[in-house]
Amino acid sequence: MKMIDAKGKPCPTPVILAKQAIAGGEAAFLIEVDNRPAVENLKRLAGNQGFAVTVREADGIFALEFSRGGGAAPACDAAADAPLPAPSRHYTVFVGRDVIGSGDRELGANLMRMFFYTLASGGDLPQSVLFMNAGVKLPALDDQVVEHLKDLRARGVEVLVCGTCLNFYGIADKLRVGTVSNMYDIVSQMQSASKVITV
Amino acid sequence: MDYCVISFESTQGAILAQKLLEGVCPVQVMPVLREISKGCGISVRFAPEHLDAVRTALASSPLAPGEYGFYGVTGGGKTLSTRPLS
Repeated sequence: MKMIDAKGKPCPTPVILAKQAIAGGEAAFLIEVDNRPAVENLKRLAGNQGFAVTVREADGIFALEFSRGGGAAPACDAAADAPLPAPSRHYTVFVGRDVIGSGDRELGANLMRMFFYTLASGGDLPQSVLFMNAGVKLPALDDQVVEHLKDLRARGVEVLVCGTCLNFYGIADKLRVGTVSNMYDIVSQMQSASKVITV
Repeated sequence: MDYCVISFESTQGAILAQKLLEGVCPVQVMPVLREISKGCGISVRFAPEHLDAVRTALASSPLAPGEYGFYGVTGGGKTLSTRPLS
């Protein structure tokens, strides 16, 4: 079986390597990565491409075995704590502001809280929520939005928060939910989604 | 009853109520349930055990009693039911 070593490689490189293997006609291959975002991205890729995937973790290294024709439920060991995204999670939400719309900021802040309340109440969840610029204040400073994001995360939604932006606003130590992320991961999420909703 | 909501005649009332309830009890803002609707899109949600404290806080505020209403909500989705709390 083909073996791909993607350890130490940042997203989206592992996904690109796996895509190349699939495009090259590999029916089964093994790919090793060393970070959880890559695992989640690869699992999504497998789902999209009709591959089953099993994940094994040892000493911080994740070995993902892809095999074509993944009709069966992918078997993940207990270490893979996030449930696999449901098939309907084909869209992602991009939040580039801390309020919705322009105009009154207080109203805009309430609209943003109600947006996440409604998103978390519904059944059709996004694959990820991406925060940039002033949007990063929400997972750091807004009590209500933090609660909704924790709920979404527990249900398998990836929450990525721009680290550059957290540093810019001086709130990197205040982040309460989500993964500190970068432009590579965020663009990768947008590219793998069939629809990006910008708030 | 799973939780309580307050609906308001105006958005300004909803925003004012949020400020008045800071320190009284934890609240969340949510869109007004379609089953309720009292003219404004923002409602305030809180746990039933805080109902008395919330009533007291609003009663002594600039908000007139006619500007807001309390509802009890049970269930969700197709089983959701609401009733006005007098």
